[in-house]
Amino acid sequence: MKRSDLQAMARRELERQQAVRCRLLCCASTPCLSSGAATVQQALEQAVTDNKLDAEVAVVSTGCMGPCSRGPMVTVQVAGQEDIYYENVTPESAQRIVVEHVMANQPVAEKIMPSDLPFFAKQHKIVLANSGLIDPERLEDYVARDGYSALAHALREMTPEEVCAEISKSGLRGRGGAGYPTGLKWDLVRKAPGEKKYVIANGDEGDPGAYMDRTLMESDPHRLLEGMAIAGYAVGADQGFLYVRGEYPIAAKRLEKAIRTAERRGLLGSRVLESSFSFRIDIRIGAGAFVCGEETALMASIMGRRGQPTPRPPYPAQSGLWECPTLINNVETFGNIVPIIAHGADWFASVGTAKSKGSKIFALAGKVDTTGLIEVPMGITLREVIYDIGGGVGEGHTFKAAQTGGPSGGCIPAEHLDTPMDYESLRALGAIMGSGGLIVMDNASCMPDVAKFFMEFCTDESCGKCVPCRVGTVQMHRILERITNGSATAADLQILEELCTMVQETSLCGLGQSAPNPVLSTLRFYREEYEAHIQRRECPAGVCKMTEAPTLALMEALPRRIRELGTIPMSLA
Amino acid sequence: MPDLITITIDDVEYKVPNGMLLTDAAKLINIDIPVFCSHPKLDPLGACRMCLVEQDVRGRWMIVTACTIRVAEGMKFRYASPAATQAREDTLEFLLINHPLDCPICDKGGECPLQDQTLKHGPGVSQFQEIKNHKAKRYPISDLIMLDQERCIICWRCIRYLEEWEDKPQLGLFHRGDRSVIDFFPGQPVDAKTSGNIIELCPVGALTNRVSRFRYRPWDTKNIDSICVHCSQGCNVRLDGRIHQLRRVVARENMAVNDEWICDKGRFIHAFADAPERLTTPLIRDHKGGELREAGWEEALALVAQRLAFTADVQGPAAVGALGSAKLSNEAAYLLQKLMRGLVGSNNVDHRGGAAVLADPRGLSAIRDVEQADLIVLAGVDPAEEQPVLATFIRRAVRRRGAKLLILHPRQIEDTRYPGAYLPYKPGQEAALFEGLSRGLLQEARVKERAARLAGFADLVDGLGNAAVDAAGAEAVRLMLSAQRPMILYGPALVSGRAAAANRASLMNFALLAGCVERTFYLAPEANSVGARDMGLLPASLPGHAAIGDAPGRERLERLWGVKLPTQPGLGYDEMLEAAAAGRLRALYLVGSDPASQGPAGQAALQKVDFLVVQELFLTESAKLADVVLPAVSWAETDGTFTNLERRVQRAAQAIANPHSQAAPDWLIFTEMAKLWPAVAGEAKAEGKKSKRKSSGAARQWGYGSAAEVLDEITRAAPMYDKLSWDALGDEGTQWPLADAAGSPLSAVASRRLTPPERRSVAPGRDEYPYALVAGQVLFDYGTLMRQTEVTERVAAPVAVSINPADAAREKLAAGQPVSISSAVGQVVLPVRLDETVQPGTLWIPYSLPGAPAETLLGSVSAGSGARVRIAPGALSSSEKVG
Repeated sequence: MKRSDLQAMARRELERQQAVRCRLLCCASTPCLSSGAATVQQALEQAVTDNKLDAEVAVVSTGCMGPCSRGPMVTVQVAGQEDIYYENVTPESAQRIVVEHVMANQPVAEKIMPSDLPFFAKQHKIVLANSGLIDPERLEDYVARDGYSALAHALREMTPEEVCAEISKSGLRGRGGAGYPTGLKWDLVRKAPGEKKYVIANGDEGDPGAYMDRTLMESDPHRLLEGMAIAGYAVGADQGFLYVRGEYPIAAKRLEKAIRTAERRGLLGSRVLESSFSFRIDIRIGAGAFVCGEETALMASIMGRRGQPTPRPPYPAQSGLWECPTLINNVETFGNIVPIIAHGADWFASVGTAKSKGSKIFALAGKVDTTGLIEVPMGITLREVIYDIGGGVGEGHTFKAAQTGGPSGGCIPAEHLDTPMDYESLRALGAIMGSGGLIVMDNASCMPDVAKFFMEFCTDESCGKCVPCRVGTVQMHRILERITNGSATAADLQILEELCTMVQETSLCGLGQSAPNPVLSTLRFYREEYEAHIQRRECPAGVCKMTEAPTLALMEALPRRIRELGTIPMSLA
Repeated sequence: MPDLITITIDDVEYKVPNGMLLTDAAKLINIDIPVFCSHPKLDPLGACRMCLVEQDVRGRWMIVTACTIRVAEGMKFRYASPAATQAREDTLEFLLINHPLDCPICDKGGECPLQDQTLKHGPGVSQFQEIKNHKAKRYPISDLIMLDQERCIICWRCIRYLEEWEDKPQLGLFHRGDRSVIDFFPGQPVDAKTSGNIIELCPVGALTNRVSRFRYRPWDTKNIDSICVHCSQGCNVRLDGRIHQLRRVVARENMAVNDEWICDKGRFIHAFADAPERLTTPLIRDHKGGELREAGWEEALALVAQRLAFTADVQGPAAVGALGSAKLSNEAAYLLQKLMRGLVGSNNVDHRGGAAVLADPRGLSAIRDVEQADLIVLAGVDPAEEQPVLATFIRRAVRRRGAKLLILHPRQIEDTRYPGAYLPYKPGQEAALFEGLSRGLLQEARVKERAARLAGFADLVDGLGNAAVDAAGAEAVRLMLSAQRPMILYGPALVSGRAAAANRASLMNFALLAGCVERTFYLAPEANSVGARDMGLLPASLPGHAAIGDAPGRERLERLWGVKLPTQPGLGYDEMLEAAAAGRLRALYLVGSDPASQGPAGQAALQKVDFLVVQELFLTESAKLADVVLPAVSWAETDGTFTNLERRVQRAAQAIANPHSQAAPDWLIFTEMAKLWPAVAGEAKAEGKKSKRKSSGAARQWGYGSAAEVLDEITRAAPMYDKLSWDALGDEGTQWPLADAAGSPLSAVASRRLTPPERRSVAPGRDEYPYALVAGQVLFDYGTLMRQTEVTERVAAPVAVSINPADAAREKLAAGQPVSISSAVGQVVLPVRLDETVQPGTLWIPYSLPGAPAETLLGSVSAGSGARVRIAPGALSSSEKVG
């Protein structure tokens, strides 16, 4: 396939789409599927057939539209009209949409989600631009929206050096959480000596509640492949690996199909777009270890070894897969490449703040009115996200904390609601941008209990390689257990803080180094809750049962009592 | 001179080699950073966090692991700072939270890095009062090693050793977080041949030695530096003895020989030194057919001296023979041949694998040279079974340096899994195989051009003909020609037996054509195979390799020994047994040699001699036939030197002594016997009379007071041992020089002459013996020394005949079914074992199985490692019985 073939394909597809009067877009990503999207789509198709509309109405399964808590979602596109979103669609309402809206032009008012809501208005879709609009399983859909033209442009008109420079200039930073400048990383790999190089897309999204990468992989797989191919061209790699979390079977299936289609059409594989550049992508499925999101552990897993981290340096850019220079970026980072190449670094850099450019996808969850997947410009305040996009915490509830970054992140209290969401501001609060998990909590949440939840997660997911993480997470968890069951003493809190510092400073990889973050950040902003648990044996949020006695305090008291009495009292002997 | 750079530790600047790991660099400047996972012989891991220090990273002090940081110019560290010290204390505190602290009953106690580090770097108190994690205890990971998962601190040393040195990832980490445990893969316990090294690598008492468990406290043993005598490598070991018993064997570092590894045979098979079945007193059989009775040394030695002297006198010296062993020390081997030559006057002295093997006495240039080779040719050797530590070095060359292996072996041996080529052959096809390779080499113009200058070229080309080279052969030739530093290693199987000379000539032709003759080395099999040759424990050569016919060499020894020496070469091992069977050899002295256990032929021969003396550790099959049995001691109970396969003379010092035994060192037995040697041969005729002591002139030359004094004489007898002494050998031994061999009797073996191939008769096709028997050594067999420990039952090779499954199917044989195998000289019954690595058309039986089936079928030790056999289902039927 050549560039002209690509354009021809886009033209044909657009003609095909315009040949119908109306398109019914039906979300087929995991959240909507789990609330019945498949039967909704069947109902739509059935209604179209029953009413003999096959020639003028197309039912299309697409990726995510965003407001996941309101799914199944359906979008009605009629030429010349504004798109209309339907929420909580059932097979019955699907029938009505076809009959009333499509046939009679009378939209089903009670199921409409108004598109002028802040949920849509405050978002800025760069990465998710195609999500919910295209059929992720059809290459033509992607190509019709200029798909693979950025790759064609890069291959034809840019040198690898220029691609790296363009990415650097855009100010794009790693979306996996740490925020390392992407262009810099690409340039390091490009300059690294070595014949063989690799590109890896990290799709091992493990934070509880986060599903940005899954959505991107499910909704717009070709964008990811195209981004990886551009990266491969820029750094001089001819092999890419897509590491997909084992719990994401739909994503893996769609990516697999996308790779096969792209290879068949000459968009991947040998001599991409009839250039001299070859690039193969293979999928590797994870086996359920959180630590495999850590880059060195992920590479070990790809190489068929036990997924465990290794010390850096050497960094993957110098010595990664099979000791070759390896570029490893998060899936969302790769999702930003195509728009940057297509629209230019300046366009991209115009979105966001001085140091954090572009947009960020968050999985908004917890106690907000509308949960779902949102893409917002960097620098938007937490308040806007929670109150405007999310619609607030609801009547009769008070906002207490927003947890970002999952088990590696921290909690942001109400007094910092106006913090701009960017790498530096969040870090200053002891939280992190992370991969994009954002859990909103109200006054029904107990913060030591929240810390315990995340610590339990880390205890479970610690790979066991280094001592601080293997032993320290367990010790921290036991202390949190005591705090939340009423048996902790003042000394426990002190030891807990010491443990946090120690595990943070001495662990081998990011998992252990960041495992204490939820504890440290809740201690920073909600210390009085910990103290209430320990000193008064009460849980202000009413979550913890506090059924145990402070055993350690008893043991400490015992020798003192013995000294006082001069003998062991019969009752204790 | 390494490239030195400056680093700062605790505000003091030091010059250290660039790129070195910080832990190693710190050691050079006497800062001992504590470690657990880090080990100088293993790749950095950074798991245990014991070595934490602070590093200045762009102005910020960060906690880092010293064991993974390679030092570079200007790096700044803090080791003694409060933060670094605290971090290390915390790590130790963490490690101890779940450690069972069962130090009082732990084998490691007293030599445990965890104890030592806790004392030196530990916090002193623990703030944790937690319930400990419970995991598996007394968990066997193999027949030899026990794991205690609770003691384990998960440092990965064991996992890494098996991966990095054995290239057998047999242990792994299972589960996650604090449930993590070291374990083997289901149904696949550890069976690497050097697995025991992980016991020593373990920094806690998690891995323990199942043979030595609870049998020692480290501070309570007397530890003596020695070497292992199970194979020719001569690995350095330490023998830990207590109350006259050998309680355990551990490795001792010698970078030139064994790095710091030993194999499992060396580590676990030592019960023979303390076995209750050991001979503790001389035994005498008063008349043929009578019982052996206990006797005193004086009576036994006098009897032997008289009878040997008498036989020599009456029947002639050629009627007396002695068979030693390549397991004997240099001192024992030297004195045995001196006794035979100087006192008996006979050159009838040899050992198994002696004259029958056309060995290059120089052995290997240097053991660690194998790691520098980029192509290693293994011709008829299987280092994995024969020299397991050498095998780990070969694997290092393959895995770390990309070396390839060209393997020529009748069996598809373990190391054929590596890149390179495998050329199978059947015993008897060796010469043809090398001739094929030589033909392949000659197809290359550059080889032909180079070889044309060599003597014998035209005849060789003529003799080789121009038959086509098959694909495997062509690949082997390609490997050979593309290698920069090839090395050829061959073993005794290739150069013994009827075709020994032809095999060696064809091998040497191949090596000469490949330009590799200087890098073609013989791998001697036994602990002192090289030394036994050096000592002249051979029928046709004297100490220092002087030929019997070499008058100046002989005269030199005559002067040294003060006797006249026989000038005719003596009989070799098989010839002596044949002569005994024929009644020509009337008295035989066996020292560490057991022909009776090698099949019925040996047994019959021994029964024919008039007077049989057996000097042994155990009442072997041969000893049971003896007229006099002399109890000897093992290598652990006397001083001795051994010369390994790279000509390294090493000390094995006495480590233990059994006060309840009268057994004596070989050198002392020979010395005392010589003192009792009758002065006048006629004296011995008057049997029953008490002999005179210190009678003969020759006996006066036998005044050795210690093994070291014997060594002193050896340095004068064998020129290559010149200037050696017990003290000078030190802890690491001394190699006798390869270069000095020029001009000596050894220079002949390095001929640069091509030999035309022998015309061989075509092997008969469908004969009555359709299979080729392949016999060979395995590490764990049922030899005398192996039999003394119950470990043998668990680890030894299966007692079976192995056959290719395709052949088994054709012969309608099922696994486990008993079959009878017969050759022209013998017949045995064994169960069948199916084995893909056995080539079709061959049967594989290891040496030294119970009842000596391989030896029985081969008939004689000089038959080589192959014979034609047939196989039939079922046990022996009387009509089929041979002979």
